[in-house]
Amino acid sequence: MALSDFWKQLSWFYYQYILVTALYMLEPWERMVFNSLLVSVAGMAVYTGYVFMPQHIMAILHYFEVVQ
Amino acid sequence: MGSFIKKNGPGTGVASRQHRQESFEQAPMYVAVMTYLGFGIVTLFGYFRDFLRAVGIEKCHLAQEREEQKDFVPLYQDFENFYTRNLYMRVRDNWNRPVCSLPGPVFDLMERVSDDYNWTFRLTGKTIHNAINMGSYNYLGFAENNTDFLKTVADKLCQYGVGVCSTRQEIGNLGIHEELEQLVASFLRVESSMIFGMGFATNSMNIPALVGKGCLILSDEVNHTSLILGARLSGATIRVFKHNNMHSLEKMLSEAVCSGQPRTHRPWKKILIMVEGIYSMEGSVVRLPEIIALKKKYKAYLYLDEAHSIGAVGQTGRGVTELFNVNPADVDVMMGTFTKSFGAAGGYIAGKKELVDYLRSHSHSAVYASAMSPPVTEQIIRAMKCIMGNNGSTEGIRRIRQLAENTRYFRARLKEMGFIIYGNDDSPVVPILLYMPGKVVAFAREMLERKIGVVVVGFPATPISEARARFCLSAAHTRAMLNQVLHHLNEVGDGLCLKFSRLKYSSCPDLHEETDSELGS
Repeated sequence: MALSDFWKQLSWFYYQYILVTALYMLEPWERMVFNSLLVSVAGMAVYTGYVFMPQHIMAILHYFEVVQ
Repeated sequence: MGSFIKKNGPGTGVASRQHRQESFEQAPMYVAVMTYLGFGIVTLFGYFRDFLRAVGIEKCHLAQEREEQKDFVPLYQDFENFYTRNLYMRVRDNWNRPVCSLPGPVFDLMERVSDDYNWTFRLTGKTIHNAINMGSYNYLGFAENNTDFLKTVADKLCQYGVGVCSTRQEIGNLGIHEELEQLVASFLRVESSMIFGMGFATNSMNIPALVGKGCLILSDEVNHTSLILGARLSGATIRVFKHNNMHSLEKMLSEAVCSGQPRTHRPWKKILIMVEGIYSMEGSVVRLPEIIALKKKYKAYLYLDEAHSIGAVGQTGRGVTELFNVNPADVDVMMGTFTKSFGAAGGYIAGKKELVDYLRSHSHSAVYASAMSPPVTEQIIRAMKCIMGNNGSTEGIRRIRQLAENTRYFRARLKEMGFIIYGNDDSPVVPILLYMPGKVVAFAREMLERKIGVVVVGFPATPISEARARFCLSAAHTRAMLNQVLHHLNEVGDGLCLKFSRLKYSSCPDLHEETDSELGS
């Protein structure tokens, strides 16, 4: 029950996303192209953050002389 | 930032009860950003698809230059063609829908589907029956097929036939045309009038007869294409003033009177102010008393196009001159069409006798265009007699009151629900702002599924970030129909997140009273 509600909510959000970005007007393969581009760019950003965040935090703390 | 409302206050010295404020509320900033984002994405994909077509991976379904002409000046590269190919064609199932019944308050549509994303259509053979019609300009409900009402039209059809086969000037001047012209003149309370077969042609063919080179035309920003075409054909200098903005108009008038024509500084031969009674895309009403005051002060002429307002506003349906209690003799050229409130086709120009007699021989439409068809003329005569209340019948007044009540109710309920509506509270044209291109298309399709036919308008007819759905109310709509439409609008508005209004609107329990609305934010 909760899962089907969750899917309904998710598909409503997807519908809103499609409307706002005007992907609603495009053909399905174009939507797939755009979505994969978006997901790949977002994935790359998340991955970069994951790899470099510890270094950045250590550098900030070092600058503020919290750690040596 | 907050919500910004532009208010046009009431005119000078006129009973303000009929005058309500016009509001053009601006949507929140994120709406504009997302509209441009949507257009940007579709434009990028448009370039991508054009590239695929140029390379040959995709077949081009539209007109293309031949191989031998590829080195000439390109024909289909301008923005308009790009827009048509890549934006309009994708979603064009929302326009040009085939209607197969009379355009009354309910109508029938033929169902059509497309197998290749709207490049071609095929009719399935099924009909969508009894869809509620919120798009026809059927303001007083005269688009009807009741045989009792249409008896005189059928008689005239038997008497005169359908085609006139001539122009007014040659041998097409029928007695029924003269009768209608006298009726129009008495309806509008002017000296005389002349009728033409086509509303668009009334504007575009008569303005060149009235003004020429050496004259100045001051036209409103959002004037209809027919007015703009007529102004351009005439060869006069055209200057545009901001929509319904009296300061802008006065500045232009005083500058025109002081400086005269551009290089020689001779005085202008004529200054003509062109405005419309109700602007069909905005739903706003012209500020007539102020324009008349300005026109008298600067000795200009006024051309009033009452296409949407004749029959639809005013206590007895006589248009904006009655709404504002203005003497019709103050307006130099009154123009209107019979397509909207009278359920027929054609237009008229009315005013002083000298003006109309001049137009009879100098207007292109009078001299070259075919005269109005007799059954259409009789339909206008019967509609006008009904409105004027001949034979003591109250049918006309009932329709006008019904339209006014429908307008008030519909607008109040829409504002309550939280939609952004443009225009004056008196105007039966209600534009609901939708902004984003994806939502515009989804709105039209959803409403059709719920058997409501609406008209949505997008970029070339409106500014690019203000796409809208335009509802035209009718005296033939019953309260039950309006409630059904409102119910569906509520659902679709929630489902598509269209309720952008940030103003609180509280309607009093009895929607027949005209107490002020509480505008807080």
